[in-house]
Amino acid sequence: MVKEIKDTLRIIGMSFEIELRQNLTDGFVLFGIVIQPLIVAFMALWMLKDKGPDYAIFVVVGSAMTGLWTTLLFNGGNSITGERWSGTLESLVGAPSSLRIVVFGKVLANITQSLLSMIGCYTLISLAMGYPLTLSRPIFFLISILLTVFAFVGFGVIIASLFILIPDFQRLQNTLEFPIYILCGFLFPIALLPGWTTPFSYILSPYWAARSLHGSARGTLEINQIFISWTLLIIFSVVYIIGSSALYRLVLKRARVDATLNTTG
Amino acid sequence: MNAIEISNLKRQFKTTIGVIKRQTKEVIAVDGITFDIHAGELFGLLGPNGAGKTTTIKMLTTLLIPSSGTATIMGLDVVKDAEKIRPRIGFIFGGERGLYWRLSGFDNLRYFATLYYVDTNIAKKKIPELIELVGLKGREKEKVEGYSRGMRQRLHIARALLHDPEVLFLDEPTMGLDPVGAREMRMTIRDLQSAKKTILLTTHYMFEADALCERIAVINKGKIVALNTPAKLKHTVQDLSIIEIEIFGIPPDFLEKVRNLEFVDSVAVETRDQRQILLIHTPKGPSAISDLVEVLNGLRLGKIVTREPTLEDAYVRLVGGKL
Amino acid sequence: MQKRSITNVKIFFDGAILSYRALFRWLRPATYIASKILAPLTMMIFFVLIGAYASGSNDASFYVIGNALIFAASSGIFGVTMSIGGERWSGTLPYLFGSPANRMAIFVGRAFMHILDGMLGVFIGLGWGILLFGLDLSQTHLMPLLLTILITTFSTAGLGLLMGCVGLITRNVMLVNNTVYFLMLLFSGANISLESLPKWMQVVSSYIPLTRGIASTRLIVAGAGINEVLPLLLEEFLIGLIFTLLGFFLFSTFEKQAKKLGTLEIF
Repeated sequence: MVKEIKDTLRIIGMSFEIELRQNLTDGFVLFGIVIQPLIVAFMALWMLKDKGPDYAIFVVVGSAMTGLWTTLLFNGGNSITGERWSGTLESLVGAPSSLRIVVFGKVLANITQSLLSMIGCYTLISLAMGYPLTLSRPIFFLISILLTVFAFVGFGVIIASLFILIPDFQRLQNTLEFPIYILCGFLFPIALLPGWTTPFSYILSPYWAARSLHGSARGTLEINQIFISWTLLIIFSVVYIIGSSALYRLVLKRARVDATLNTTG
Repeated sequence: MNAIEISNLKRQFKTTIGVIKRQTKEVIAVDGITFDIHAGELFGLLGPNGAGKTTTIKMLTTLLIPSSGTATIMGLDVVKDAEKIRPRIGFIFGGERGLYWRLSGFDNLRYFATLYYVDTNIAKKKIPELIELVGLKGREKEKVEGYSRGMRQRLHIARALLHDPEVLFLDEPTMGLDPVGAREMRMTIRDLQSAKKTILLTTHYMFEADALCERIAVINKGKIVALNTPAKLKHTVQDLSIIEIEIFGIPPDFLEKVRNLEFVDSVAVETRDQRQILLIHTPKGPSAISDLVEVLNGLRLGKIVTREPTLEDAYVRLVGGKL
Repeated sequence: MQKRSITNVKIFFDGAILSYRALFRWLRPATYIASKILAPLTMMIFFVLIGAYASGSNDASFYVIGNALIFAASSGIFGVTMSIGGERWSGTLPYLFGSPANRMAIFVGRAFMHILDGMLGVFIGLGWGILLFGLDLSQTHLMPLLLTILITTFSTAGLGLLMGCVGLITRNVMLVNNTVYFLMLLFSGANISLESLPKWMQVVSSYIPLTRGIASTRLIVAGAGINEVLPLLLEEFLIGLIFTLLGFFLFSTFEKQAKKLGTLEIF
């Protein structure tokens, strides 16, 4: 049992390192982790200017979340598609290690890289522009950030499986980008959406992550409400991670039947 | 004890044609093949491009699920026991794909060592050993994108040996290698066999299969058309002579006409250095030439040679005469 | 001379058909619908709702018009850029350089399909605006609107042409593409009224395509006639022309450079 855990951690660590290395040589990664979130932040800042200066933190947090999702969807997704095109997806599947664990490491790498970049950028910019980025409940905010990583990684592992299952899922990337921003309430409360969409929001772990981040940053949530958000975030993330085991088994079986592990069949 | 047992294995693929009105076509890549490979054997799967060799290997290495039929490796089913099989086999599909180009050779090996659960301490020793074995010493820290074809092929071998597998699948291991590199690769493969590993090798080079393999299965259009030792396969054509006729321009129906001659066993056309050579297999020997004159009348001919059959000719006969 | 013209026209149409095939060959109908009709809608919803959150009002027309015209930019930037930059990716650029065909005819031909595609995108955007966000086109004169859309798609295609040339010398085409696209979102007044932007940003806005197209469309939807928007449209057209010419100039420069220095392999 201990050996299994050690091996799993080793694989996650290795996959994490390799993914970061690969990202370093890919210029497009820069777009998802810095450029797009910054532009979105700027736009949102301007659009929400009339709401007052304490909205700066709301914009920053919300834009950061759009950056996380964009990174997951594009960088994470392209990473899988790239493996297929270079033939290494087969090498991964043929190896004894679980592909799911390898993907976990990949997603963790992308999320961590994205988050760190954005924290760096926003801090610099807020210092430069003199925008107050005050946190109402700093400790809760910090914990929320850690849980956000957890939420996105769990979600990311599920999304990555779609890229494995469907060879041209890349075509749908653009269509999936904004719906998550919308349903998870990154830059506006989901109260603005029709009521029937709410259940969809609730089952997405990033929604609870955004809620707890916004709530603890601006103090709009009571402490017990933050705890509820955290609990639901953890529950759904755990569901994703446990569910991903069966999902990957199915996806890989399908991929081996349909010969989609490789571009040449 | 059989290392690999294959029973009536089949694999189909669906392809689609068209954009708006899509039609699906079923292509049968492997059409019911059956054979066994003994433990420690160096077995060759020989066939032209598109015969189904790679598809067969992919099914055996658990990368594709068969459409029907069964295969077992060391008694484990390739579908149900895939996870148990993977630690015990190594495979290379070779060439440009299957390696991380933006990483160094060394990092590729480190990564795969982890994925194959090779103990860290063992990996620390094994990786440099393998790098030396495949002749990449000194170049292992360079990125794979800068490697030559031969170097990449050798890195593949190193990767496949990291976890000391019992069974190795080598898909066209010398393809794209220059003659020196290819010869070295063949020596490495022989060394592996003497290390008691079971090896299934695919190739479309007859002389390679002849030189290396204890037994050869010839596969064409998804079916096994022969299975025997190289010597016995040559036997099947040993009663035949091969008449090679250099020909300039083959009219339609000509090959049919020649095939239908009662003393002609089979006909093939080979392109050698932009010349076309008609290969006629006949038991009659050189005397067949005069009988061929009638059919050859009016055609532009060059050199005519009669020779003994080689394994290549056996192969040509088995795969129906197209080279 | 006449033969030349006929050849050029033929090249133009070949380019257009090629572009059409390339555009649709890899797209299944389902994917086309998703990326052409659904994806733009999701972006529109996003910005409309932020706008609603910001202003508390229900009038979405500002954002609807802005985003609808952004879709033209999408065809221009991604479509046109990739049809040129894609040459590099598929390795066919040296062959293109080696041919005597008139470059202008080739690229205008290819851009043609993307201009049509872009116009379609705008109409779809406006359609969604009417369906979902109560966009009111009752005051709109059709002819000025059509003209505006045509000119705007043309000018963004010109930008795409210039960017395609950039795509010839860099591996990071998608990085550049996406950055420019998002910068257009920021600077064109699609979601932020130009007056509220800082002065230096307004200057940038005035030099890029799309800005005047969006402004014109907003005026037209509010009931303006062709006379009021003509100056804006002329300027938009001019900008498009300048970007197009810059693009050709850049392309010929690269071509000459590559041939002179023998660096065709970097392409």
